[in-house]
Amino acid sequence: MIEQPPFSYQINRILRGSIPFWLTFFLALLTVVPLRIEGFGPVTPALVMISVFYWSLHRPYLMPAPVVFLVGLISDILTGVPLGLSSLMLLIVHLVAISQRHVFVGKAFILTWWGYVWVASGTSLLTWIVACLYSLTLIPILPVLLQLLLTILIFPLIVWCFGAVQNSMLKSV
Amino acid sequence: MALQQGSAWRLALPLKVIFQRFAFMMLICISIALLVLGKADLVLLERVRTISTDALSPVLGTLSQPVDALNKGIERVQELASLVEENERLRRENERLLRWQSVSRALDQENEQYRRLLNALTDPLVLPISARVVGDSGGPFVRTLLLSAGSRDGIRVGQAVVGPLGLIGRVAGVGKNSARVLLLTDLNSRIPVILEKSRHKGILVGDNSTSPTLEYLPNNAQVSPGDRVVTSGDGAMLPAGRPIGIVSSVADGQIRIQAFADWDRLEYVSVLRYDLPGLTDRATNPGDLGESQLSN
Repeated sequence: MIEQPPFSYQINRILRGSIPFWLTFFLALLTVVPLRIEGFGPVTPALVMISVFYWSLHRPYLMPAPVVFLVGLISDILTGVPLGLSSLMLLIVHLVAISQRHVFVGKAFILTWWGYVWVASGTSLLTWIVACLYSLTLIPILPVLLQLLLTILIFPLIVWCFGAVQNSMLKSV
Repeated sequence: MALQQGSAWRLALPLKVIFQRFAFMMLICISIALLVLGKADLVLLERVRTISTDALSPVLGTLSQPVDALNKGIERVQELASLVEENERLRRENERLLRWQSVSRALDQENEQYRRLLNALTDPLVLPISARVVGDSGGPFVRTLLLSAGSRDGIRVGQAVVGPLGLIGRVAGVGKNSARVLLLTDLNSRIPVILEKSRHKGILVGDNSTSPTLEYLPNNAQVSPGDRVVTSGDGAMLPAGRPIGIVSSVADGQIRIQAFADWDRLEYVSVLRYDLPGLTDRATNPGDLGESQLSN
């Protein structure tokens, strides 16, 4: 018979395991905190998407589809976009990341970055199309492209932070 | 025993994969369903949204405080560099404004006398509620703000929201202690306006760009860049005569407005409680004076 691990160990494991979710949640909050930088509001980088992409690649069991869905809903509620829009896009990002894990994990960082450029471009365009269909008007695409550019530029920084978190707190999880 | 466990695993693993795929497809379907249902303006979805926003708004309020403090610090340092010039400029401006004040006092009194002569009805008093901005839209698809005040503080859907320089939008959704403001630049925003000088009425239509367009003006309306645009008060939801912006360009039938509001520096805004007796419904817009008991 296998001995049950002690309670404190399990709590520790659960707390550590939920770090990716809390990080993503924090980034979702950070996205809407007004930074009062000239013209920054509409082009705030999609930090949540980076987070979902990263954790789906490196710790897929800590960022399962239901969690991605929940994060998307929270993000929708915070930003005020139609409910379900972010959930849908993040689930697509999650799916791509999960299915292409063998391509990215353990390879050079530049490859992950390159992969993210494609994923982010695809989802940005898709979000734009869905948002246009939803409101039945042509939404200006320039802010969308600027947001995409900023997101891609900030990607290495965020990934570096996540890497540090992963190495220090999620090594055994 | 080991063998049995192995075969159980061999059976369980594909089952798990199938279940995961099924769950994934379900979640995708739910997302799409939510999108479609959202289009139908379901009351339930709206409630879920306001309740969650209520829960998250204190967190956002706390998070935005250090950012505000940092910004203030930076601003302070920048101001220090130009303290003397700023002082000189302000002194000149103060002189100019004092002259303006005496003129406007005289005009105000004159107006008041004319009103009394004509026995004209005055507009009801407008009560502002100050609220802190705790969130912006953080994305390219909507232009909204999140306020740290809600129905508890007297905010109702439809009320006008003004910044220090002019109108910025109106309340689109309200929870107990949070409210969402639809900025006048959002593509869902429609605000009845009037050209201050020529008194032609139109509708200010947002399109997610920084300069909304002025539409539905009469055909003979004369518009030129620099004309001031103010709220018309049509629809009895917004008080009349609130400054919005100036006409920035008139090109091939499209009139664009540059709003006075400084979109990046909105820290505190005023929500205007406004009620035209008999025109607005007390239950949905009790922005009257009786409720607040601030007057008299």
